[in-house]
Amino acid sequence: MNGPAAHVLLIEDNPGDVDLVRLRLMESQPDAEVECVHRLSDALAALGRETPSLVLLDLNLPDSRGAETFRKIRERAPDVPVVVLSGQDDEALALKAVHQGVQDYLVKGEFSSKHLERAMRYAVERQAVVRSLDMARKQQIEFKNQFLSHVSHELRTPLTCIHQYVTLLLDGLAGPVTPDQSDHLKTVLKSVNQLHAMIRDLLEATRAESGKLRVEPRCIALGRLIEQAVAMMRPAAQAKQIGIEIGMDCRTPLVFADPDRILEVLINLLDNAIKFTPAEGAITLRTYLQETEPEVVYVSVSDTGRGISPEARNLIFERLYQDPDSIDNNRSGLGLGLFICRELIRRHQGNLTVASELGHGSTFTFSVQAYSLAKLLAPVIIYQEKLRPSFVLLQVDLIPVSCPPRGNWPETWKACLDTLRRCVYVDKDLVLPPTGSPGATETFFVVASTDIERAGIMTTRIREQLGRLSDFDARASVSITTMPVEAGLIAGQTLDEQVRAVAECVNEKIMEILGKNNR
Amino acid sequence: MSSKHKILVIDDDPDLVRALRLRLRANNYEIVTAGDGYSAIAVAQKERPELIVLDLGLPVGDGFVVLERLQKSDALSGVPVIVLSARDPVDNEARALSLGAAAFFQKPADNEELLNVIRVTLPERQPTATRLS
Repeated sequence: MNGPAAHVLLIEDNPGDVDLVRLRLMESQPDAEVECVHRLSDALAALGRETPSLVLLDLNLPDSRGAETFRKIRERAPDVPVVVLSGQDDEALALKAVHQGVQDYLVKGEFSSKHLERAMRYAVERQAVVRSLDMARKQQIEFKNQFLSHVSHELRTPLTCIHQYVTLLLDGLAGPVTPDQSDHLKTVLKSVNQLHAMIRDLLEATRAESGKLRVEPRCIALGRLIEQAVAMMRPAAQAKQIGIEIGMDCRTPLVFADPDRILEVLINLLDNAIKFTPAEGAITLRTYLQETEPEVVYVSVSDTGRGISPEARNLIFERLYQDPDSIDNNRSGLGLGLFICRELIRRHQGNLTVASELGHGSTFTFSVQAYSLAKLLAPVIIYQEKLRPSFVLLQVDLIPVSCPPRGNWPETWKACLDTLRRCVYVDKDLVLPPTGSPGATETFFVVASTDIERAGIMTTRIREQLGRLSDFDARASVSITTMPVEAGLIAGQTLDEQVRAVAECVNEKIMEILGKNNR
Repeated sequence: MSSKHKILVIDDDPDLVRALRLRLRANNYEIVTAGDGYSAIAVAQKERPELIVLDLGLPVGDGFVVLERLQKSDALSGVPVIVLSARDPVDNEARALSLGAAAFFQKPADNEELLNVIRVTLPERQPTATRLS
């Protein structure tokens, strides 16, 4: 055998060309095993059975044409070298395929057995190089992540020491400090905090890059989060005499989002707005809906700052972007904030955009999904295109044994939620996303596609499983109430309407229960 | 003075231990310390602290090993442990909590938050003795 390819898959629909290629192959590589198919569908099936050492490909087949043919082959067999067989009139197409990752092309009727052998040999070699480059790139990313994680850990250790001693001095635990000294120490502490934030951002950006940002959505009220973010940022705004106004659309529904992450984004956007707005400016935080997309809530942060140039607008979401004309001499970040924010919003199936005009301020807007119980319920309460016959709502109250709760309450809370999820049938029951943030007594809800009688079995199972958690009884007690969900369905309703009616009925019950608890 | 709550600080950075000792003493706690995973258990057995502040990166048995050993000891398994580590919580918090830690703080931690968690995590006993000044 004098060629590198032992098993060739020839994908060609013209019988004349098939014979010609076979002949050339016989001349140069008599030992090569040639499998020939005429359609893309057969080629994909062949690739699914066995990986050849090389593919000879005609881009125009009865069931696929042009670049699309190569894309599908590549998708099925990413590592196989491909040589395109091009007609005399579509060399441009073959060249385009080379840009997309084809190793080489030959013009039909113009190549000798020598040409063919060389093209095949090179294709195999090139594909091996591409593969090893790709592997090296992946290793490099992994190495970079490990390196950053290690460095940030090592940086934190001395930083912790500085932080501890500065705060000891500031708090007067090492003797009295003069007002001047206290001022200097506060400057040190500010820098320590900035350094700390930079290390955190560096790690977050690495996670964003490798798709590892953690997002745990629940059902939340945006209003409360916005108020919280504004309360946290107001001192910084007041120091520059900047007013912050909130304008909530009164129709703003609950949203399905991670409260910690949304708070992070809000704080970041407010921080930027304060930084780039001159003294006595104004910042407005709004929520609004658009009639065309009732399931999306928009949140915008507008400022009266100097705005962003069109060129910079494309760059601000890039990593490490720093405004070169920053009026703020005290640049305090790595330029990762907006990059991280945008990734966080994307993880919520939303988007973060900016509108701005130089001299007329900027508006950053992000979108989040409205919380729709009907959307969450649909997959579990519908079976074979029909609504299941009956539903029960389980109310699970988790009550701490002492007040304030002993031990790690969020952990107890999480363990309880995980147990509930294990105790239900994933295809017909749903543990509703928890509402709000974990506090003292928690109420979880489960919608089960069952009747009251059988819900009793589920209740027993939940109690048993919770009882098995170590130390659970010492930390919390549980009360479980079941109630039927009677949606009052009317004949002639579409399936969609029925699902919405069930969701509404569940919602009403939950609101009633939570209202009672608050009272 | 015997009414003070006794806290064991386990960390291999003597400078940080010194600072924590000052901070916790100022808040009316009695402090004992250990600088590695091995001596940590011996000190805990001898001193019987009411709460432990534990670093994860330790010589001779890291923080996770210490957590496991504490859990296995009848005398010490009830002592609440607060982890205070420079390590990334994403990779370490869940593991520490599953090994019985009561809370996880990443260094540098906010002093007030740490003191608050220490206060609510300490087993109940003469609560007036732990009031902050």
